[in-house]
Amino acid sequence: MFFNSLAFAIFLPIVFFLYWFVFNKTKSTQNALLIVASYYFYSCWDWRFLFLLVFSTFLDYFTGIQIEKSDSDKKRKFWFWLSILVNLGFLGIFKYYNFFATSFAEMFTSFGFKVSPFLLNVILPVGISFYTFHGLSYVIDIYYKRIKAEYNFIDYSLFVSYFPLLVAGPIERATHLLPELKVKREFNLEKAKEGVYQIVWGLVKKVVIADTCAVYANAIFDHYPSMNSFSLILGAIYFAFQIYGDFSGYSDIALGVSKLFGLDLLRNFNYPYFSRDIAEFWRRWHISLSSWFRDYLYIPLGGSKGGLWMKIRNTFIIFIVSGFWHGANWTYIVWGFINAVYFLPLLLSNSNRNNMDSITLKWNLDSVKVLFSILTTFLLTCVAWVFFRARTITDAVLYLKRIVTSGEFSPQYLDNERYNYELVLMIGLFILVEWNNKTKVEPISGKRSWLKMALAIMAIIAFGTYSDYKEFIYFQF
Amino acid sequence: MKKFLLYIAGIFFLTVLAAVILDGMYTYVFMQSKNRGKIETVFNSTAKKYDVVILGSSRANNHFVAQMFEDKGLKTFNYGMSGGHLFEASLMLKLMIERKYEIKNVILEADLNLSNDQESEGVAAKFLPYIHCSEVIKDHFSTEENFKQLYYIPFYRYVKFDSKLGFRETYKIASKEKTNALDNLGYYPLKKHKNGNMKNNIVNLNPLPHNKYYEEIKSICKKNNINFIAVMTPMCENVVGMNYFDKVKKAYPEIHNYENTVIENKYFSSCGHMTDEGSKLFTERIIKDFFGK
Repeated sequence: MFFNSLAFAIFLPIVFFLYWFVFNKTKSTQNALLIVASYYFYSCWDWRFLFLLVFSTFLDYFTGIQIEKSDSDKKRKFWFWLSILVNLGFLGIFKYYNFFATSFAEMFTSFGFKVSPFLLNVILPVGISFYTFHGLSYVIDIYYKRIKAEYNFIDYSLFVSYFPLLVAGPIERATHLLPELKVKREFNLEKAKEGVYQIVWGLVKKVVIADTCAVYANAIFDHYPSMNSFSLILGAIYFAFQIYGDFSGYSDIALGVSKLFGLDLLRNFNYPYFSRDIAEFWRRWHISLSSWFRDYLYIPLGGSKGGLWMKIRNTFIIFIVSGFWHGANWTYIVWGFINAVYFLPLLLSNSNRNNMDSITLKWNLDSVKVLFSILTTFLLTCVAWVFFRARTITDAVLYLKRIVTSGEFSPQYLDNERYNYELVLMIGLFILVEWNNKTKVEPISGKRSWLKMALAIMAIIAFGTYSDYKEFIYFQF
Repeated sequence: MKKFLLYIAGIFFLTVLAAVILDGMYTYVFMQSKNRGKIETVFNSTAKKYDVVILGSSRANNHFVAQMFEDKGLKTFNYGMSGGHLFEASLMLKLMIERKYEIKNVILEADLNLSNDQESEGVAAKFLPYIHCSEVIKDHFSTEENFKQLYYIPFYRYVKFDSKLGFRETYKIASKEKTNALDNLGYYPLKKHKNGNMKNNIVNLNPLPHNKYYEEIKSICKKNNINFIAVMTPMCENVVGMNYFDKVKKAYPEIHNYENTVIENKYFSSCGHMTDEGSKLFTERIIKDFFGK
């Protein structure tokens, strides 16, 4: 059940109606309804993995309580590591086992030993990377005594399985979401309207921007050996907007839907393509994952407090692990590595926290510099996206090499019977809308919201891509 | 809550209104289309006179050289549509009759396409902008599974088939951008393709004993005094399951089997489609056999 499907358009109003009109007596009834709805939502993907979700929920619930109750450090450690190992074990088996098995086999083969790896014939459970990280953060926080264990199983289950964030985030924290689940929600008109604005804008990003860009980006990436420099550059840009529209669109819909139920989720995107350097980009892109790795990996490793080599080591670890989190493929690891390389000069020159203020442009030289730095950051990001999108590292390298060697910048007719430049105007318009509204969560609210809503609806209906239907990219992670 | 429900009702109304307005605008633009495709051109045309009209799939579109008929004094147009089935060929003929075309002969390519009587979504979609403007189109689609959605939900057909009827196509019609679909009197010549697939397996293909749309075309021709010529067109020599054509002949004895007219691979662009050179050999034989010229 996708957020942009007819099934979800029926599911959401039913849950909304039951939530506010039937199960609205106490927070327990509200939570119980959301749990049932969430499990139904998840079972629509594959009901068999519901058992995995319930087991993972129960494990973290139980170990969390045991960690808190334990009277000795040894017992605390035992329950802590049990939870960590089982959680990561599931992730390892379902997501990474085949990758490691084939990689080791290839390595042995290159040394002259013929190895036939035993591969598992399993599919990746939807959202496993997301709900595993929910559980991990909860257990780690209890272990370090940042939070108290949750004794109400319904409330805890909802924290892990809440349907808007279940399959593709944002990755919530117990410190943020659990307190919201502990009180009865009262209907708030303004919040609900904000939710609707966010849902509609998320749909614009998904069906108008991401899915349309996907048609062109796929045609270019799939036939890159016959593409000229102009097409290849456009292909990388189209993919940059495809993945941004897709993932931030999903996040917007998730946040918007959640607001309809009176719950605020963590913001996941903050106009990342307007970043002035890579450090700022990572403070604005997939914020819930970046901050998760910062809090649960980077800081425990020593963060930037140690010596120079420790800083460099930690930076590379966090970016490479972050890349690997996205998928079991070397392309994601290289993508993470490239971002670490981009980040390194900022870290070494102690300027990774330079651009913390909001961006304002005036008619002066400084603004030209700002625009130049935004453009440079975007182009660096596009180069890294080529690795993220390509099937193999070799494909990515050849793609980039061909941009330089082809030297042709003429319009090109693609295999899908479209010209390569056709989307430039639409993307330009999208950038303009986002730029003018970068101080807000979405551009529909504010003055003349009815007019903006009408235009957004028109855009979804008239300019959306439907026949070449695309899944949300981050569902595969 | 009441205010919110009213607000949602407002958005719903806005969405329906937007869909109705867009539907009207897009349909208006499609009503002006005259140089982008065969379907649009026929729909927006007035009465014409033809000695020969060719119908069928790409195996008609790429195999009948209309100019060769013209050279023999026969006013001809090739209305074969790549990817089309008999569902669309039948509707095309119905539209011509609705527009009072005077046709002496219809040549229908009837071979592989006899194996199904489903619509070909991508081609059939091109008729949909006119579903509210033509009883013939409405009736033809009325038995289809999703007819109600297509007919009653405003703009749904443009959304469902956005790659064929969406903004891009509408913009191209509005800016009068031409396609090559109507060049060469509708015939699309193919070249020898070095990577062309020269193998084909049709062992599992069977002609339907009573193809609904084939019978429909036959009866339209009879009713309108049009000479109906149904032919099987050539395939390359590497086809597995060539007895399909015998099965067709058995089920439909009136269909003329020209599958063997051209056989050598050098005359084929791919196994089911002849090159321009092969098509000329084939067309020459058809003109000689049916028109004595």
